Amino acid sequence: MKFGTLIVRNIFRNKLRALMTLMLLAAIFFLVATLLAINSAFERNDTGGTGDRLVTQSAFSLANMLPFAYEEKIRHVPGVVDTAKTQWIGGYYKDTKNNVALMAIDPNKVESVFPDYKVPPAELAAFVADRTGAIVSDQLAKRWGWKIGDRITIKRQIFPFDPQLTVRAIHHHPVQKSAIWLQMPYFQESIGNFGRSDMIWMKVAKTDDMPRISQEIDALFKNSNDPTETYTEKEFTRQFVSMMGNVKLLFMSVSICSIAMIVLLAAITMSMSARERVTEVAVLKAIGFQPRLILTLMLTEFASLTLLGGLIGIGGAVMFYRSVDAGAATQGLLENFHIDPQTVAICIVLAALVGIIAGGLPSIRASRLTVVDGLRRVV
Amino acid sequence: MDNLVTIENVRKVYKRDAFEVPVLNGISIGVERGEFLALMGPSGSGKTTLLNLIAGIDRPTSGRIVVDGKEISRFSETELATWRARHIGFIFQMYNLIPVLTAMENVELPLLLTKFSKKQRRERARVALDVVGLGDRISHFPRQLSGGQEQRVAIARAIVTDPSILVADEPTGDLDAKNAEETLELLRRLNEEFDKTIVMVTHDPKAAQRAKRTLHLEKGLLAESSSPAEAVV
Repeated sequence: MKFGTLIVRNIFRNKLRALMTLMLLAAIFFLVATLLAINSAFERNDTGGTGDRLVTQSAFSLANMLPFAYEEKIRHVPGVVDTAKTQWIGGYYKDTKNNVALMAIDPNKVESVFPDYKVPPAELAAFVADRTGAIVSDQLAKRWGWKIGDRITIKRQIFPFDPQLTVRAIHHHPVQKSAIWLQMPYFQESIGNFGRSDMIWMKVAKTDDMPRISQEIDALFKNSNDPTETYTEKEFTRQFVSMMGNVKLLFMSVSICSIAMIVLLAAITMSMSARERVTEVAVLKAIGFQPRLILTLMLTEFASLTLLGGLIGIGGAVMFYRSVDAGAATQGLLENFHIDPQTVAICIVLAALVGIIAGGLPSIRASRLTVVDGLRRVV
Repeated sequence: MDNLVTIENVRKVYKRDAFEVPVLNGISIGVERGEFLALMGPSGSGKTTLLNLIAGIDRPTSGRIVVDGKEISRFSETELATWRARHIGFIFQMYNLIPVLTAMENVELPLLLTKFSKKQRRERARVALDVVGLGDRISHFPRQLSGGQEQRVAIARAIVTDPSILVADEPTGDLDAKNAEETLELLRRLNEEFDKTIVMVTHDPKAAQRAKRTLHLEKGLLAESSSPAEAVV
């Protein structure tokens, strides 16, 4: 700490340059923190759900629906506690920007198969009793001011009908913040009673039995016209995330390019700063500072500079996403978005590393400088 | 004779690309403890190189340099740095203060390498600044001081660790006559009142006059030795 004054004064020796560098670092780390947090948000979806659910879908594609009759057969597989056939409908509210995750479900299966969609019992009963009822997320209700009893119309996206729903319940799911449930009978009626749905969910008694249950279910329908594939909820969600693989790769690439860019820019700034101090370094060495101490002081200075810039950027990002509804801004893609502690930690380490990498060469050069050469040099 | 510094047959050759430039060609001198020695000579005569060798910031190509009984010409870079911190005080022509530090912090700088507490460091730095007459300028940055004051802060930095030898390279070269006179008077006091051994490189015969002995170098060789009165000529 006794060298603290020297380090801090050297950081701000050229105030304008220090300020510009800090602003640049802050802007880049705001961007990097955002991109890493988006990737992290995608990863977080992998771990959504209760952990004791399996889902069966068509082996060909999610667009191929499965006969309702499959549900009854699946329910009799040993280890299955309950089942619920569901259908992804999708849609938007008023404007195409306002996407919602609209899904149909047999109303009496919400509580038994999807208890993580926490719904007050009285509201759930009201939903079960109303064929055109809907359970909407707390976040959507807050965003559009929906209250129990409100009539809402969701515009079509895939199927040829615009569901006209009455808000009967509000769910409080930790992740699924844009989900709306409607009744399967209402959906079926509206599209002409297909008698099929794209997914059959099941709750199992023991998670250890999941591999066996999956195999048994898929074996049941192996030689039928509609063979199935059964996944854990985690695997199922990961399928969707993997569809965004290129987006994730793009985000990672932009993050890496941003870091590389800031390393180069910081390296230029730090080289200039080190070059200006050749004589001072020589004086320090003359009065007894060891090369290793010079190296440590300069690296600490450069790492502190980038760390400070990084902290401003990361702190700014944390506060910005606390005050901005990223879910609304991204049409529900980034519901509940925030800069998580892991991203903060990664960015802090990256910020320090930028300083060490960018400042490494000028610091090594300074530490190796001979006193005679340093005193002789005219900067 | 109590020699603090003994230089025996020292040669120094610099390599510039493919060329070898001999700067010192077998010099042998002794500097007594408590002496005030001036090194004079034309540019390129090797006087600064000789000063650098005595101060341990450069190494001879051949020959021996013994300071206070230790052959520093055999020391490693790390050993030399540690030795310099204890035994050498530097005074440069351009003062070479750290611009971002105050006068007090500049003087305190060599003490950061010691085990003194912050309070002890501050006390010693204050005493050193008092000795050079700048006890009222401790919070001033170098840019807020005159050239003469900057050089006095540099002298305070040089003496704060109570070194065996003060080496001064053209200490008055960048000062006006009045400040040069004050600086030389300060060096004389340090030599006579505080018994500091001083080796000073100078072009200025008036500055050399303050020394007890002057050595003249020419083309890397000792040309002559003279008393202060002779040096003025």
